[in-house]
Amino acid sequence: MAARTSLAFFARLGAVLNIWIWGLALILFALRWDSVERPHPPIRDLFPNGEIRVGVDASFPPFAVATDHDLYGLDIDIAEAIGERLNIPVRFVNLGFDGLYDALKVDQVDMLISALPIDYSRSNEVLFTVPYFNAGLELVSQSENISGMRDLSTHSLAFEFGSEAQQQAETWLRRIQPFKIQAYETANFALEATRREFADAALVDAVTAHLYLRRHPEWKAQQQQVTDNLLAASVKVNHYETYQAINRTMQLMLEDGTINALLRKWL
Amino acid sequence: MLKIHVWNLISRHFSQVSWGFVRIALFVVFTGLVLPALPRAPLTSQQFVKTDHPAVCVHTRLIDEVYEWKIQRSLEMVREMGADTIVEFFPWAYAEPKQGVLNWASFDVIVKHAQNQGLHIIARMGLVPEWARINGNNTVSSTLNYLPDESFDDFANFVSTFARRYAGVVDSIIIWNEPNLAFEWGYRPVNPTDYANLLKAVYASAHASNPKVVILAAPLAPTLEPQGSPNGLNDILYLKELYEAGAAPYFDALAIHSYGFTDPPEAAPGRDNLNFRRAELLRDIMVEYGDQDKSVFITESGWNDNPRWTKAVRPSQRVAYTVNAYKWAENNWYWVDKLCVWVLRYPYNTHSYPDNFTLITPDFIPLPIYNSLQAYARGWKLDDQLWLPAPH
Repeated sequence: MAARTSLAFFARLGAVLNIWIWGLALILFALRWDSVERPHPPIRDLFPNGEIRVGVDASFPPFAVATDHDLYGLDIDIAEAIGERLNIPVRFVNLGFDGLYDALKVDQVDMLISALPIDYSRSNEVLFTVPYFNAGLELVSQSENISGMRDLSTHSLAFEFGSEAQQQAETWLRRIQPFKIQAYETANFALEATRREFADAALVDAVTAHLYLRRHPEWKAQQQQVTDNLLAASVKVNHYETYQAINRTMQLMLEDGTINALLRKWL
Repeated sequence: MLKIHVWNLISRHFSQVSWGFVRIALFVVFTGLVLPALPRAPLTSQQFVKTDHPAVCVHTRLIDEVYEWKIQRSLEMVREMGADTIVEFFPWAYAEPKQGVLNWASFDVIVKHAQNQGLHIIARMGLVPEWARINGNNTVSSTLNYLPDESFDDFANFVSTFARRYAGVVDSIIIWNEPNLAFEWGYRPVNPTDYANLLKAVYASAHASNPKVVILAAPLAPTLEPQGSPNGLNDILYLKELYEAGAAPYFDALAIHSYGFTDPPEAAPGRDNLNFRRAELLRDIMVEYGDQDKSVFITESGWNDNPRWTKAVRPSQRVAYTVNAYKWAENNWYWVDKLCVWVLRYPYNTHSYPDNFTLITPDFIPLPIYNSLQAYARGWKLDDQLWLPAPH
């Protein structure tokens, strides 16, 4: 009888704990695996051409622009800073937007940095680094009463006609008490209307907001992030060590303020 | 006794587990009953396009659309805009993922809804399945645009099968896209002779399958890339070399991509300038080689209104330039059959400047360009002010 009770107890205990123990073991294994410091191959081995070939669509200021003899912009500076940190020269390959990911896929380039948003639908082909800028929509206002979309009720909101901002505004019109919407031809006009107090706030993409505020330093407006559009560099999925090197460098540049300094330079 | 007890334990444990599964299943079933069903897309009575300007045409991007109702809604909006023709991509890789195993389901959905809306289809063919990208004994690291010479006949077979299946419904077929760009040619060296060989491989079998088929030579990308550039080759030079390679007997019409970039549509063309009327330079080459009787289909055109792209214009300019481009083409280009705007809609935003080529948003909100093209095509007058005046 005692033996049966003991057996039943252990059988039940085993049945109950079995899944938990295995689950815990798997989690611990995963954590341990992730924390193992594996030796990094020499950086030069990751770039057999002796250079980092960077794919960029240089037609999109302030991120990358081509002149007859030169390229400049935020993405160009970030790529050059990565090359400097890794002590590998950088060569830019100017591509059309449609051809960027294909160039990465067939090893025409080692990495892309071209104001590209993180796109999870490409995660079977591409690894994205930590983001260096959030280009989503921002609410810009000089009113202290507006610190987010929820505060817009009874106020007026300016945006570009037909833009994502309009879609966002119409979504919020269904969520909160009504507010007045004012559509302009461009996002810059929406900001201008807000600065001139024809509207209480403007909803525009972060790049337009930053560039406008840079041109009008006297305007004391607040910026609130409303949506996310995270821009990042990317590397081919099966070049994991290259990705690690570039991602680590990007992370360090974010931590030590290098990226912020470059953002201040261009935006 | 011990056996029975263990069995009881197991059966009790199993019954607990199975009851858990039953509860999950019930939850799923009830959730499914509570959630609204996806809109269905039944065919309506036969629709017809009303238009005053039959040159108006639009390039769609339906093949990557998941939901049938969105395909239907897109095509309804094409018809409502007054365009009687669409250009749509029919990727080989989607229809024949394994050699000889054909799946037409995604093509059929598009074709049946286009027919139901009274729309003609110009089919663009491309994208190579993996099995056809094998070069010799090795599978090279390649893009979906990579078509080795060994697979030209396989591609031709597919085009021929497509032409037969959709004969009388899809009678215009574009062979490839922008083969003068390295990336569109699968990063093989850009070579007009290779493309001429591809046309040659396709032409006879497609006509045998559908005697009424119109084979369109691929539209070339407007570019100034010089000879030897790794990125591509100037479209004017490429077309000339294509004729030199003897391609003329193997296409019935020429497709052209004619973007305006920052110039208005009336701006004169120039060999060193990319603008809307660059199409005239390509037409000059056709005439030079005795092909003046062949039609031209402008299968991509338009302006972009992104605030930052260096080749874009303002939204109001985009509207005016696009409508004026139609007027220009109708008044001056008797040799153009269709002028198709790129692009009706993307299934989702790219969050970059390509979004500013669309006529409607992914949520089917018409943009000013859509309303203006609709007014032009249908002969309507647009009185509504779309946006407030500039705040100065």
